[in-house]
Amino acid sequence: MKLYAPHVGHLEGLEELLTGSNDIYGIYMAGTPDYVGTGRTNLSAPGLEEIAEQTEYAHDKGVKMEIVLNSSCMGGQHLTPEGYNRINWYFKQLNNQGIDSITVAEPYFVEMLAKEYDMEVVVSVLSFVDSPQKAEFYENLGADTIVIDPVVNRDFAKLEAIRDAVSTDLKLLVNEGCLYQCPLRYAHFNFFSHANGPGPKLNVLDDYYYYKCLSLRINDPQQLIKSPWIRPEDLGEYRHITDIFKIGGRTHFPNWILNNVQAYANESYDGNLMDLLDCPKDLKDLFYIPNKELDAAISQWKQCTKVCNKCGYCQKLAEKIIKVYSTEGCETILKPLKENGGQ
Amino acid sequence: MTITEILANNRGDLETKLRNLLAKPVFIIEMDVFALPCGCKGITINTRGLQYDDLEIFEEYINEYLKTTSENLEIEPSFLFARVVPGTAEIASLNSRVLCNRCYMDFARGTGKRPRPDIYILYFTRRD
Repeated sequence: MKLYAPHVGHLEGLEELLTGSNDIYGIYMAGTPDYVGTGRTNLSAPGLEEIAEQTEYAHDKGVKMEIVLNSSCMGGQHLTPEGYNRINWYFKQLNNQGIDSITVAEPYFVEMLAKEYDMEVVVSVLSFVDSPQKAEFYENLGADTIVIDPVVNRDFAKLEAIRDAVSTDLKLLVNEGCLYQCPLRYAHFNFFSHANGPGPKLNVLDDYYYYKCLSLRINDPQQLIKSPWIRPEDLGEYRHITDIFKIGGRTHFPNWILNNVQAYANESYDGNLMDLLDCPKDLKDLFYIPNKELDAAISQWKQCTKVCNKCGYCQKLAEKIIKVYSTEGCETILKPLKENGGQ
Repeated sequence: MTITEILANNRGDLETKLRNLLAKPVFIIEMDVFALPCGCKGITINTRGLQYDDLEIFEEYINEYLKTTSENLEIEPSFLFARVVPGTAEIASLNSRVLCNRCYMDFARGTGKRPRPDIYILYFTRRD
């Protein structure tokens, strides 16, 4: 198994990760947002020298280094002569630092990188590759690896079709807790891309999408079960698709990342599934989902037709196993979902 | 009891009351006491899962709970309001604020519950 782990971006964090585990095949982190942003929040913006230093350190440990520049919206900046020159200069510098791969979401960048540089070109999860047709498109642009949109993580026919359609490597993001078929997905990532990109910076009052995302789950907790995460125990079910797995979570402490690495490397986790999910991380203090009680669920999901209103499996499962953290006096206790008005 | 212990207890109590009232696991993600340079002081209670409809239907109860929480923290409940994500159903926070004279005038001039798109006034004591 090739396991890619997130990294917040500073050398101390990387040292902690790579001395803490021998199971990490590759590390990925954002670059500086001055050229191309990323589709998620970042805790740091390592400059070229820092990237060079960390790449060398990772390589000394036998670990691959991947830079993520997966802005889902560039606002057309890359199509201007100045924008193209600026971004191309940055790609050239990254190439010179010896990084192994670069993840992008913008199709233009996939083609540009494939034509001009030796770095492995990885198509981001934010390119939303959820069909063999899209996968073929990116392969034809020059992609070496495609990170499949998690929306099809439980659609095995689709996964198999993608596998059969292309000869690129395929990577699966295992612990994204986004809503299944999230209607906010494109707008939220576009917002992040601008907020974490070259600017102009917006004076945003509230992240509406995040509030809504949490609210949808609190008002309908079965959404937690429907999210297309892959449990550590279920990795074996995906081996015929790929052996490359990616853990999400670049805004977490190294300790959290290492806990995830251990869980996925061992293909087992005895605890709250919410501990492993990258987002929405705030809800791990609200919901308790006993991971081991989900052992049989993959059998259902493998034959799932995704017609939830006729099936009701995830709803029943949510009612049965999800607990809610509640306070009584000074103590935190777990209560069944139903006592807290769940569905 | 330390101020953080008092905050923690009140966070839990209010969350439990809201959950019992609304029959859903409303989440108080953070409760803060603040003092601003203008002179305003109070508490901000960041909520998730609380929605505008909840506020409209159960205003009387939510008002009462917020008043109690405010009094427990020794903050005069003279101005209670919810902060709404403008144009949406989402309530970002419940607040109790002792207004400074300047900020008081901003609110005292207006009438109605929505002086701004992001504010829903639950209770406002007018000064003489």
